[in-house]
Amino acid sequence: MLETVELRKEFKGKTAVDDVSLYLNKGESVGLLGPNGAGKSTTISMISSLVKPTKGDVRLHGRSVIKQPQDIRKVLGVVPQEIALYEELSAYENLTFFGRLYKLKGAALESKIQETLEMVGLRERQKELIKTFSGGMKRRINIAAALLHDPEIVIMDEPTVGIDPQSRTHILDTVRLLNREKGTTVLYTSHYMEEVEQLCNRMYIMDHGRIIASGTHEELQRILSGEDTLLIQLNAPSQGLIQELQQLEPVRRAEETDNGLKLIVTKQSNILTAVVQAAERQRVQIINIHVHTPSLEDVFLHLTGRTLRD
Amino acid sequence: MVPDLLAQWMKERRSPYLLLTFIGLSVLAVVLFGMSSEGKTKIDVFLAEGTSEAEAAGWIERLNKSEAFEFVLRDEEPARAEVREGRAMAAVQLLPDDYRIVAAVDEIQGLLAERHVDTVFRQELQLRAAAERSGDPERFRLDAERILQNPPLTLHAAAPDGGEIVSYDMGLQLMFGFALFLAMFTIGSKINAVNAEKTSGIWNRMILSPVRKTQMYLGHLTYGFAAGFLQLAIVYLIFLYGFGFDLGGRFGMLLIVSALYTVAAVALAMLIAGMTKTPVQFNMVYPSVVPIFPLISGAYMPPGTITNDVLLVIGEFVPLTHAMDALLGIALYDAGWGDIFLPLAKLLLFAVICMGVGINLVERGRR
Ligand SMILES: Nc1ncnc2c1ncn2[C@@H]1O[C@H](COP(=O)(O)OP(=O)(O)OP(=O)(O)O)[C@@H](O)[C@H]1O
Ligand SMILES: [Mg+2]
Repeated sequence: MLETVELRKEFKGKTAVDDVSLYLNKGESVGLLGPNGAGKSTTISMISSLVKPTKGDVRLHGRSVIKQPQDIRKVLGVVPQEIALYEELSAYENLTFFGRLYKLKGAALESKIQETLEMVGLRERQKELIKTFSGGMKRRINIAAALLHDPEIVIMDEPTVGIDPQSRTHILDTVRLLNREKGTTVLYTSHYMEEVEQLCNRMYIMDHGRIIASGTHEELQRILSGEDTLLIQLNAPSQGLIQELQQLEPVRRAEETDNGLKLIVTKQSNILTAVVQAAERQRVQIINIHVHTPSLEDVFLHLTGRTLRD
Repeated sequence: MVPDLLAQWMKERRSPYLLLTFIGLSVLAVVLFGMSSEGKTKIDVFLAEGTSEAEAAGWIERLNKSEAFEFVLRDEEPARAEVREGRAMAAVQLLPDDYRIVAAVDEIQGLLAERHVDTVFRQELQLRAAAERSGDPERFRLDAERILQNPPLTLHAAAPDGGEIVSYDMGLQLMFGFALFLAMFTIGSKINAVNAEKTSGIWNRMILSPVRKTQMYLGHLTYGFAAGFLQLAIVYLIFLYGFGFDLGGRFGMLLIVSALYTVAAVALAMLIAGMTKTPVQFNMVYPSVVPIFPLISGAYMPPGTITNDVLLVIGEFVPLTHAMDALLGIALYDAGWGDIFLPLAKLLLFAVICMGVGINLVERGRR
């Protein structure tokens, strides 16, 4: 129902978003993953008509919305990355204000406010001022404020950044409820791989303004299907061992970890004996070897050579 | 527009102290500066060698018949220091039957004081000389004073337009000056909400809602206007009824001019909001720019004090200058709409330009 076509945004000659094409089907929950500065927020701003793309198009039901942003604004609920609330007002007053912006009044407004407060689990605290709330509670009200007008599509920009586990659980539950029970289409931005794995059917991975991979969890993992990851725990760190292992044919990458090293090797290679022999030559003791199916973090590492939270 | 006003109002209800503080400050400032010795300017008097205290007391009594000045006896050193350091505009040194004015150069009030002292001395010395010759000095003096009080010939001074010459009311000028000046702070703090909403992301939320841009701006402008105008009206009322100021009897006209000034001040705040990006930047720039205005426009000084051409030209670009012209015209000189048309037109022009450029800058500063 919503798609972007070769979206591009330049800020004073610097390209923030480059050739981004993505789509959302009705009722889907889609993740948008990427490290800081990848261009996620800029992409969202262009989709929600806050920023004009330098090039490309945003289409709703196949029709371009760049010229008539009202069409998309009507069906969209945007949870911004920053806390867009009046700190001096209570949660209830904030929601009253944002509800009024959408022309809600009286009993309808009241019941919508209570419903969204219930959804984010802050009904009992509604009379308290936002500035007295914890970061996590603010984020939850920040979400509630975007849901008052029952949007068909909800876009969330890093809604769980820097918050307590309890609030995080609440937020993840809210997203699930929205998507699975109310059938809301969700675009969920994050740099936490686990969240996207849990919440989303599909995902896009962005880096340096470009989409570098996309697909379902399984599809993305298949990128690494030819590789295994070995976590080797040692009694003492050993640069010698790392260097020796790097010479071996099936080893793609070897790097030091907190208590040993991590190897990425081609599948089905009989690497274990070679590792044990090398450890003996280097006089280090192997305490534990763990063969690990690649996670999405590994996919990201594979694609960009960096971890998500670099 | 209605929801936006509502949000501003809800915030106001939680902390109405700012508005109250500025109303209080306006009153306090006028009471402190405007009403000292009922509007008379204090001038120190000190004695030269050979002048007796009794003699001085006589002169001071005669000098103090003035409506504009109050002469007080003081020691020489502090009196001279006050003038040197610019805290007093003039002092008078009494010699035996003569005087010297100690004044800072270029002080118009100093010149006025000198003229007054000069008249008093000349009159007294002439009286004395005449009395000497008349043989019965006592009697002559009484006669002369009686004649001076009921002169057979009176000279009627009139303003160039034939109207009454009004004694200038510095207290009233300061009242308008401080009230208009402090209203700018209230207005600034309200308009700064635009920057606050932009940085917090609330602005974007409003853009995404069905509320239109014009409504968003109107909401903020209306609120800034209402707060500033309310503050001005309250200050006027306090001085009208609380302190018995004579505002010239045409309160409605004063309010209309003040409303126009408020629009200009709101526009200026918008311009500065457009030039700055964050509420913090606004709070650095605005309070450093605003206090320059009353100095340039001469709102704290007697009319005619500012003679520097450059300052006068800059003053033309300050809304305070024109609002003061119009308000004082109405309150003191019975000015009609025709008389204050020019200052009002300038205020309006200022408002339109600032508002246009300001909103443009605010729009362009959008991410
Ligand atoms: N208004 C702007 N002017 C200039 N550059 C900008 C602007 N907005 C974003 N950028 C740049 O565009 C790039 C992408 O930024 P964006 O905020 O979209 O990234 P992001 O993926 O949301 O990152 P984060 O995880 O930090 O939120 C960054 O390099 C950023 O510095
Ligand atoms: Mg971002």
